[in-house]
Amino acid sequence: MSKQKKRDFHVVNHSVPRRDGRAKVTGKAAYVSDLKLIGMAYAKVLRSPYAHAKLVSIDTSRAASQPGVYCVITGNDLEGLDPYYGHAVKDHPLLAIEKVRYAGEPVAAVVAVDERAAFEALEYIDVRYEELKTVLTPQEAMAKDAPLLHEKKFEAGALRGFEGDVTAGRGTNLCQEHHIKWGDVEEAFKKAAAVIEGEYYFPMTYAYAMEAYVAIADVNDNGVTIYSSAQHPFMVRHDLKSIFNLPVSQVRLIVPFVGGGYGSKSYTKIEPLVAACSWKAKRPVKLQLTVEEAMLTTRSDDAYTWMRTAVDANGKIIARQAKIYMNTGAYAENSPLVVEKSTNRCVGPYAIPNVQIDNYSFYTNTVPASSYRGFGCAQVTLPGESQIDELAAKIGKDPYEFRLANVAKPGQEFFPKMRPFDGTLEEDLAIAAKAIGWKEPLARGRGRSVACSGSDAGAYPLTSTAVRVHADGSATIMTGSTELGQGSHTVIPQIAAEELGVPFENVRVVSSDTAITPYDRSTGASRTTTLMGSAVLEASREAIQQMVVMAADVLKVKVEEIQVVRGGVRCGEAQLNWSEVISRFYGLPDGEVIGRAYIRKAGKFSQLPVFWETACTGVEVSVDEETGKIEMEKLATVGDVGLAINPALAEGQDIGAATMGMGIGLFEELVYQGPQLMNGSILDYRLPRFSDLPKKVELHLVENQDGVGPYGAKGGGEASLNSMAANIANAVARAVGVRIRQAPLTPERVWRALKEKEKVKSQK
Amino acid sequence: MHQPKSVGEAAEMLARFGEKGRLYAGGTELLLAMKHDLLRYEHLVDIKTVPGLDKIEAKNSSLSIGGTVTHREIEKSAVVRERLPVMAEMTRHIANVRVRATGTLGGNICFAEPHSDPATLLLALGAVAKVQGKSGEKALSMSEILMGAYETALAADEILTAIEIPLPAKSQRAAYLKFQTHERPTLGLALVLSLDESGRAITKAAAAVGSVAPKPCRSEQAEALLTGPREKVERQLSEASGALADAADPVDDLEGSAEYKRHLIGVYLRRAFAQVLSGNPPGREKIAD
Repeated sequence: MSKQKKRDFHVVNHSVPRRDGRAKVTGKAAYVSDLKLIGMAYAKVLRSPYAHAKLVSIDTSRAASQPGVYCVITGNDLEGLDPYYGHAVKDHPLLAIEKVRYAGEPVAAVVAVDERAAFEALEYIDVRYEELKTVLTPQEAMAKDAPLLHEKKFEAGALRGFEGDVTAGRGTNLCQEHHIKWGDVEEAFKKAAAVIEGEYYFPMTYAYAMEAYVAIADVNDNGVTIYSSAQHPFMVRHDLKSIFNLPVSQVRLIVPFVGGGYGSKSYTKIEPLVAACSWKAKRPVKLQLTVEEAMLTTRSDDAYTWMRTAVDANGKIIARQAKIYMNTGAYAENSPLVVEKSTNRCVGPYAIPNVQIDNYSFYTNTVPASSYRGFGCAQVTLPGESQIDELAAKIGKDPYEFRLANVAKPGQEFFPKMRPFDGTLEEDLAIAAKAIGWKEPLARGRGRSVACSGSDAGAYPLTSTAVRVHADGSATIMTGSTELGQGSHTVIPQIAAEELGVPFENVRVVSSDTAITPYDRSTGASRTTTLMGSAVLEASREAIQQMVVMAADVLKVKVEEIQVVRGGVRCGEAQLNWSEVISRFYGLPDGEVIGRAYIRKAGKFSQLPVFWETACTGVEVSVDEETGKIEMEKLATVGDVGLAINPALAEGQDIGAATMGMGIGLFEELVYQGPQLMNGSILDYRLPRFSDLPKKVELHLVENQDGVGPYGAKGGGEASLNSMAANIANAVARAVGVRIRQAPLTPERVWRALKEKEKVKSQK
Repeated sequence: MHQPKSVGEAAEMLARFGEKGRLYAGGTELLLAMKHDLLRYEHLVDIKTVPGLDKIEAKNSSLSIGGTVTHREIEKSAVVRERLPVMAEMTRHIANVRVRATGTLGGNICFAEPHSDPATLLLALGAVAKVQGKSGEKALSMSEILMGAYETALAADEILTAIEIPLPAKSQRAAYLKFQTHERPTLGLALVLSLDESGRAITKAAAAVGSVAPKPCRSEQAEALLTGPREKVERQLSEASGALADAADPVDDLEGSAEYKRHLIGVYLRRAFAQVLSGNPPGREKIAD
């Protein structure tokens, strides 16, 4: 807990039960799949069996005449629309046009009276393909004679969210590159006392959300209305506005309950396709993907990283250099930003005087990669935090002590031009180490590791909100932030209730309807508590300021004579609560006050990142040396969150993220054999289960109120994922003496490493 | 969906529908495959409504488990737990409780999914499948009924009515172990040993390995190596596992390479051997995974 004295909070910093819990566990929460519009039809998608092929011809006539079919739509039917979308790079056609670029790409859709009729008509669509040579890895993609995935030059998307240029579409398969450099790495490595160098691979993973992609579109003369399971409705609105060439006001995105996102529902996914279906069918259309189809829609970028890290004779890290080759799949999606973020996140939260990171992502004929919880950080924390342990071992230091000696200190400008470090990693690490019994003796076959990460998080600060205070003193928050299960719609009203001094129960949240709720750029990068939370705090205070003026008017005194107290105002003997202020102002027990706030890259948010998302995890594992199977014995998470608006929810985010990271460390990996995805179902793709978690789990929060958000809060919820794969690799190295530089550490990989170790030993 | 009232009527229906029909006995595999459009049938013949196929009966020297008995019923059956605890223990670790509550033993065997736990244990236990078709009844050993991945020796009209498992003699001990990290096991290994009175020699051995290849298998050579004085057998364990691995001929797949599976056969044969001889009362062994 905090060493600083926390303010005496009434609602904030309390674990009030989450708002949506009861509705969700009783099945009463309505998701998009529960919604039905009048006259609604259903779509099913025909997907390409080939990873790279020319579309020679598509004959839809037989399919169109099947019973119950309203229409069939292909890439040839999109005249009148701008069919390419993408917030970073406009490279993604809503249906394949002229060619397909990955096995599973949508080629056509059937719209019919029901899902079954649509599905059964799919096989009557006659498509002739002419297969092309494929590229499946960055290495293949950068070869001189590699076939090009994208021949055309693209427009940069309008909302790319980063300052650099878009490199895609310049006659190569390079999608994006990003570089950072300070100091002189070559010189530093020459002077180093010890260097670790290695190649690492972080796999393709699928951010399994229980709810697969689903959307309903209603395109008519009044514009486009879409109900979607989307994290960033306002970003999706922008893509649809440009596809249909409409004013912003005529595109409406509505997001009801969302069954999990984890980055996979950030930015535009199936909305353009379902909108085009509705446009052609001239009626509302629902498209619900199966999980298997969702796995053909997005994934994480896999990353091949070469990294080296150097220390001086005093055990200080003096240099780090990395070259990263990321595999972004067939379309850019959000990968250009993943490239930028993973480049920055190579530094880890360490103060390193000489750094050079070169990062390239390539188009390949695989499922498009995009945002994934942690956002490029897990990809580079596997090498980064592995090398910390490898270096510590090389110079004979305790890896925990080695970290303590090198992590960025509070307030330190460890990353040029970025916000000074706003976390307390030494404290965090100490808690994680204590939680897993760092100093206790280890049984045979067991190993421990503590590791950390610090991400430049919070995305771009552009957020607005309105807090409406009603005449009875209750309030409604209008927020564009999406409740994905992370608990935002519990945390946000806690902040308003704290500020307005009204009961938590009386604050309602209306959210994620672009026609109603003010603009919020996105729900991702752990930004909502910090940015929307700040907006709600400021809007609540702005409402109070308005009510102070009203109270002065009602009491016929000067504004300066009004004193704000909890839940109302005082002026001499007179005391009015908000209900009385508003009712007396309007002369009726009705009416309202609207507090507003606009957050932009200015003031306390002028320096990026919005905050450093910082966390540590600690693990103890045991390894079955005969089979190579790893068991988790202990897990600890430490979320450096500044202040937990809702501690239970913050801890829930941490254990969720750590579990997801554990999945990557132990078994999650999308496997391609040639151009075909081999395990594209949750039967074959192994997700973590509760039974995989160790019996000993400790969740800690560090609350030093050092964040830029409300009451010193900052974001959390992603960071506990980032260090888990490295942690598992480090713990295995300590348990059985093999260093595995690839995730997941499947039993067979561990067994092979052990066998190799035996072979080397017997040769000596 | 058809709901016949007798095995004869079901066989009649299956014969009539031919390739357009399929027996439905729980659906945990079949419906999944149909949902993914891997299999298409116009007719499903629901065998669960046929009376008499859902019984577990202990006879003098065998245990009979009806074709539509669910895994969950086997797992909880007092008779199975007492007379053939290895079967109850194996069943307790099949998939998850929802699958066990719906899936049936008959369905499991007839779907012939290569990762079936029961198939491997039943093969080692010398179980027999009772089969009834339009033209009469017959009995098939597990190696006869299981032809390959998703392939059985059953004709279109034939129905597995019961599995008959010889009850182990007092001198017999059995274990079923599996290695599993994915949804389905990477390897299942069943070992049944008959011991002489001293407990120091093995008079008869049955070892079956499953999940590593299209169908579970035994090896006469391996079983010969597993027979004899205990110390001698212990020395021959790796040779026996090599013979068993040769017979099984593991395949490379998402669960692991053939090489890794061959290695696991060795590890699990040793573990099963140690467990069977660990002094637990015959047939009281715990299953590890």
